[in-house]
Amino acid sequence: MSEVKTAVDSGELAQPVHPPGRSRKVTSLEVLCGVLLIAALFQNQLGALFDLPALRTGSTVFVAICVQAMPFLVLGVLISGVIAAFVPASALRRMLPRRETAAVGVAGVAGVALPGCECASVPVARRLMQQGVAPAAAIAFLLAAPAVNPVVLVATVVAFPAAPEMVPARFAGSLATAVLMGWLWARFGRAEWIVERALRALPVRDGGSRWAAFAETARTDLIQSGGFLVLGGITAAALNVLVPSGWLVGLGANLVLGVLVMALLAVVLALCSEADAFVVASLSALPLLPRLVFLVVGPAVDVKLIAMQAGTFGRAFALRFAPATFAVAVVCAVAAGLLVFGGVR
Amino acid sequence: MRRETQNVLLVLLGGALCKLVLSGAHPRYVKPSMGPWLLTAGALMVLLATIAIIRDIRVARHGNPAVPDDHDHHHGSGSPWLLVLPVLAVFLVAPPALGADSVQRAQPREPVRTASFGPLPPGDIVPMTLSDFVTRSAYDGSNALHSRAVRLTGFVARQSGQTYLARLVITCCAADAMPLKVRLISDDLRGLRPDDWIEVTGRLVPGSADPAGDLAPDLRVGTIRGTGVPGDPYEH
Repeated sequence: MSEVKTAVDSGELAQPVHPPGRSRKVTSLEVLCGVLLIAALFQNQLGALFDLPALRTGSTVFVAICVQAMPFLVLGVLISGVIAAFVPASALRRMLPRRETAAVGVAGVAGVALPGCECASVPVARRLMQQGVAPAAAIAFLLAAPAVNPVVLVATVVAFPAAPEMVPARFAGSLATAVLMGWLWARFGRAEWIVERALRALPVRDGGSRWAAFAETARTDLIQSGGFLVLGGITAAALNVLVPSGWLVGLGANLVLGVLVMALLAVVLALCSEADAFVVASLSALPLLPRLVFLVVGPAVDVKLIAMQAGTFGRAFALRFAPATFAVAVVCAVAAGLLVFGGVR
Repeated sequence: MRRETQNVLLVLLGGALCKLVLSGAHPRYVKPSMGPWLLTAGALMVLLATIAIIRDIRVARHGNPAVPDDHDHHHGSGSPWLLVLPVLAVFLVAPPALGADSVQRAQPREPVRTASFGPLPPGDIVPMTLSDFVTRSAYDGSNALHSRAVRLTGFVARQSGQTYLARLVITCCAADAMPLKVRLISDDLRGLRPDDWIEVTGRLVPGSADPAGDLAPDLRVGTIRGTGVPGDPYEH
């Protein structure tokens, strides 16, 4: 049993009940009750605030992003729980090649197997690192899973009936981004950029069953990732309302500008990787290449993901990882586009 | 944040997801077919929280020594607090489906270039979705719409002095909504207010659909009738 690490972060264990007589502080539970009570009492004023059209649109988009992502997040934390409770570190080590460069490739291709959106892959990647998978391989998986899975590829086929070459181009660009980022991390990455709490191997608990460890891991990941998902949702909703999409008009003329703006738009809009193909397919004024850039950058780096990564792996990590991924994704997308389309198109 | 509070929040959040589906409000935000997934996700959240609550009660009762007590203020991160926001938004604000304001903001959706169309269904007035109408008006070479009256449902939107019948198309959730517009041509449209849901009958003005222009075909209005917000406010 000793190799089975229960996945309960030391911090997540039950709080001791305060012994009577100890100086009493306001607990978070009381704060929560207070917040809910105040919100309920001032519901009418709260509703009046949302009469502003921009705020109303923003709040609808915010709820939509959260609601859409929740099932995928739950799927992600369940997988994370399974890895923590039922997949011993030794089994993962046997599955992946020993050489880090080869492991990155395998992990990237393994991303095909997780048909989720990006919200699911963050907790899973973290759990993989915790179970002793090389961070470079976990990063390749993190970037590949939302971008090259079958659901996303089928969505792209459906969205681009007149340009089926978009699908291999997207697959190649995204996989190249994932694998290249993994190799870059293997070469230049430093373990101390990832916060210690994300990687802390957890103490073996006596008497806890694997099922208990599974439930506890899933619960903890859900609480933490969920919080950052909400943060990303607020940001994306605000940008969705504030960024004028009139920008896009007339970009088709300047290709370099078009590529850059579409890459930035992918970051700020934070669309689900299953929906982005449909959105970008309808911008038929643009050539295929900038639209491919949008599809490759979006699942790899966007405001929602940056928030989740900063929360899970730490700010030092996100600060380096997000810009690097952005640059690598743009380059890979352009390269894949030029290769597959045989030009700009 | 204390563990008990986290569990209470999870129950609330799971409850909020289930409430959206059970009250039929979820098509305002996502595709109606997401309903079962949202219910499952909500139920699993409540289940995970319940398991943790039961375990904590047991531990507290038996004073389980396996629980160390040196982790009082561990997380140092307030992020779980953010989960209050979707809970409050769903239970107290319940934002409505996107409407006229989004038509102002978003780029109109370009109709999918379609090569061939089937025949229109029989009847005096053909009921159509806005996507069908806009696509046919732009690309139907047989000009089938020129000789038929249609019935369209959508909400009223005003833009630069013009009155439009509009509908939003979503593929995943409301964050990717794109508007479809039909310009209403009539002598008396002043009674219409933005975001009113209406059912319009009328005829396409031949040649008014310009794929290179503002993508909105003109409809010469016959009748206008107010309707409520449909169960699914979006087209897909």
